Amino acid sequence: MEVLTVKFLLSASMVLYLFAALAALVFLKRHRLCSILSSATCIAASLFGLAAALRQLLFADSKLVMNLWQSNIPFLQLNLSMDALSAFFVLGLSLLVFCVSIYSIGYMRHYYGKRNVALFHFLYAGFILTMLLVFTAGNAVVFFVFWEAMAVTSYFLVSFESEESENQRAGILYIVMTHIGTAFLMIAFMMMFSFTGTFDFSAAGAALPQNARNLMFVFFLIGFGTKAGVIPFHIWLPYAHPAAPSTISALMSGIMIKTAIYGLLRFVFIYLGVETTWWGMAILIMGLFSAVLGVAYAYIEQNIKRMLAYSSIENMGIIFIGLGVSFMAFSEGLVLVGALALTAALLHTINHTLFKGSLFLGAGSIQYAVHSKNMEEMGGLIKRMPITALFFLGGALSVSAMLPFNGFISEWLTYQSIFAGIIPGQAAENILFIFAVAALALSGALAAACFIKLFGISFLGLPRSEQASSAQEVPLSMSMGSGILTAFCLLSGIFPLYMLNLINKVVLELSNQPITGQLQGNLFFIYYPLTIHGNMISPQVIVIALTVIAGAAFLMLRLIFGKQSERRYGTWDCGYESLSPRMQYSAAAFSKPIRVVFKIMFKSSRNLKIKGALTYHPDSMEYSVTTVSVFEKYIYDPVFRLATAFSSKAKFMIQTGSVHTYLLYIFMTVLILMLYNRVAG
Amino acid sequence: MTTFIYIVLQLAVIILLAPLVNGIIKKVKALTQKRRGAPVLQMYFDLYKLLGKSSVVSEVTSWVFSAAPFIVFSSALTAALLVPVTTFVRPLAFPGDIIMLVYIFALGRFFMSLAALDAGGTFGGMGSSREAMISSLIEPSLLVSVFTVGLTFQSTSIDEIMRAMQGVGFPLLRPAFTLTFIAMFIIIIAETSRIPVDDPSTHLELTMVHEAMILEYSGRQLALMEFGAAIKQLVFMTLLVNLFLPHDQFIACPGIGGLALSLAIYVLKIIGLSVLIAAFEASTVKFRFFSIPNLAALSFILSFLGFLQFFVLGR
Repeated sequence: MEVLTVKFLLSASMVLYLFAALAALVFLKRHRLCSILSSATCIAASLFGLAAALRQLLFADSKLVMNLWQSNIPFLQLNLSMDALSAFFVLGLSLLVFCVSIYSIGYMRHYYGKRNVALFHFLYAGFILTMLLVFTAGNAVVFFVFWEAMAVTSYFLVSFESEESENQRAGILYIVMTHIGTAFLMIAFMMMFSFTGTFDFSAAGAALPQNARNLMFVFFLIGFGTKAGVIPFHIWLPYAHPAAPSTISALMSGIMIKTAIYGLLRFVFIYLGVETTWWGMAILIMGLFSAVLGVAYAYIEQNIKRMLAYSSIENMGIIFIGLGVSFMAFSEGLVLVGALALTAALLHTINHTLFKGSLFLGAGSIQYAVHSKNMEEMGGLIKRMPITALFFLGGALSVSAMLPFNGFISEWLTYQSIFAGIIPGQAAENILFIFAVAALALSGALAAACFIKLFGISFLGLPRSEQASSAQEVPLSMSMGSGILTAFCLLSGIFPLYMLNLINKVVLELSNQPITGQLQGNLFFIYYPLTIHGNMISPQVIVIALTVIAGAAFLMLRLIFGKQSERRYGTWDCGYESLSPRMQYSAAAFSKPIRVVFKIMFKSSRNLKIKGALTYHPDSMEYSVTTVSVFEKYIYDPVFRLATAFSSKAKFMIQTGSVHTYLLYIFMTVLILMLYNRVAG
Repeated sequence: MTTFIYIVLQLAVIILLAPLVNGIIKKVKALTQKRRGAPVLQMYFDLYKLLGKSSVVSEVTSWVFSAAPFIVFSSALTAALLVPVTTFVRPLAFPGDIIMLVYIFALGRFFMSLAALDAGGTFGGMGSSREAMISSLIEPSLLVSVFTVGLTFQSTSIDEIMRAMQGVGFPLLRPAFTLTFIAMFIIIIAETSRIPVDDPSTHLELTMVHEAMILEYSGRQLALMEFGAAIKQLVFMTLLVNLFLPHDQFIACPGIGGLALSLAIYVLKIIGLSVLIAAFEASTVKFRFFSIPNLAALSFILSFLGFLQFFVLGR
């Protein structure tokens, strides 16, 4: 098996993605062939990527370095490298791409003959390839180039259904916000070069002066925070994710925003080193706000995909909480707590990839069948789309951190790492940590409520629209795609140690602190539980207890009292005998209590229009609720307005339109540069 | 073997005792209202009758509706396994901790809320939506309380904490524990749908929360739902009395005699707490729905002060 080296597997994966992109362009007119060929190649490519990542994580003892191209221009060289950290993110990417590509075979059908399917597949494969290259970039220039390429390809994919002006706006907002982030990253990379004289980020940045490192940290945090979509840099995310086709939403939410986590670990944790406590605090506080506000905004949303997008903000918040605790602990020398929190953050990263992938694919299936993203037009889909409903429920349970799915394990680990981090005597940290606990609890409970609403309103009850009552189950490939992801969620929830052993390699590489001593337990079955700091749980035993008790209750009741006889009858309607779907609780009504309690965050206002005489029986009534996204209105809008006002005034002062002035500018610039060289030289 | 004894004993005590708690609370409330009230054992009769009856199920419902009662019931009993009624039988570190306990209850609540939406009626959605708000608001104070108590002894294992509390003697004499005790009392009131958060005896749509969610259920499924709720209530009460009023340290005799004595004291404590809850319910009125956040905030502040007292200001 010497042939199947990591290098070979990784290269094969990249070549196949490139092939998938180009093959799509060759069969430009034959939509069906193009779609199936390209998706199948992506599936194969993802399997190679998966094998490369697993091989690197499990068997390699040193990192893989590939020098692909060395140019004569200094610093311009294409080299790739893959260590355990890269391999871990490649693993997540490949798993997700595998399922999304299977799904896409069926999903793309409704684009046949209507859209440029070839272009879509070209961009799709290109987008995945750029993400793969971001994770394996060997120096800062390569990283930056593919980071930018990733942003551009994903922009084209976000505005793929560009006939709706809403999608165009989403695309513009996305590309603007992502470039603001990129600008900060660029400054940080420039600082990196000017202080060390190299773009090689494996060289230790610890030698940098403290002020420069603080400044670089802030730039990295803004740059990567924008990509991660954490509050307050989140405003693009709730627009971009719903606008994209669902396969792209799954990729963006599932793995693209995780490139930010990768970046923070690569450039802050490894390159700059964590010795300053306030860095961790800043990350933690950002995580706190993202977790609570993200889910609160998700809860009041009626658009399925936008709700999932806000839920991504919440989950990035949870990951940031883990990262923040970890950074704080490492800076104070509490290596074990740091390693634990890092494990929690990485586990939640991959868990979120799995369940959010499944949920976005499920949302795509709903949209495919009902042709709407609005929850108020759904209902009763569990009867018409039972398989989609089952897989969606699995994803919903997982994102709500319900036992025995994987979301619970990573939240439990996050709680445990905070628990281990609270040490008597350190006042500020402890107060911050206990607020993190409260925020996690609040966001966890709200997330559960959020997905009760999403699943309950769209899949249960009576259909609220014509399309919902005539919806049909989606093609097999689509249910397979989301089904495999949900199955992974369940399996890695019941048997968490497989994934944790992989993460252990990453944490070992980052901190030299093995957590296997803390993570005791049997890989497969049963009594040896997951143990952290002497606190243990065993998901297996709980699953067995739940099923045995439910089964025993069922059988015993049947033995003692006989078979349950059921009579089917209408829902209780207070005797009026005309229960219509419109009398059900709507999505907007469901979220009303929380909207009222947290009205300071939503600024919601109700509009009630009554036609006819104002009596107890008016002719018709129309009720709508509007909420304001506070961050846009009170932070971004004033800044944008100020910037626009300034530039429209400045344009007459600087850009006069006269060639003479511009020549003067050039002359002045040259003069100043010459003077500078004279003085500096 | 000890594990097996533990499981049997634990489940038997919880299953047998849970309906009694409801009976006592109802009886005390009736007496305060100068009524004679139903017999203390009424809930046993109700459950027996309901279990044997056929049920009416709405045509609109799906498998979620039929599965929910079993999930609610089994999650409540699984949670019961994690909270020892007595520390005399050591459960060999039963694999679950206090954080997991919170999430096992959340699983039951998740399915109960979904089932409420399944019938497509108006009441279910109303109950489910209100429950979502109450549970979200109470959750932070629940976890902060749990953390404060756990951190004192550097463990999240319920069994470990209970044993460590026995070493303390009278935990309620310590300010941190007194504050968390009151916070957790409020949490229990909210989690078990009691006045002033919810009214278990009402069927008026303005005030229903828990009752609205199970309105569509009948027969055996209703019995399982009611039983599940009673077990959940008892588990919370057990947690409260065994954490803050430990008694096993006073029992000198080992073996079966000690176990029996310990169980007897436990039952007495539960009866005492039931009377306290009933008295609390009788002495207050149901809050307006949008005043519940104040109660949740009070509970959070108390638990937070408890944490501050211990971990920031020092012992």
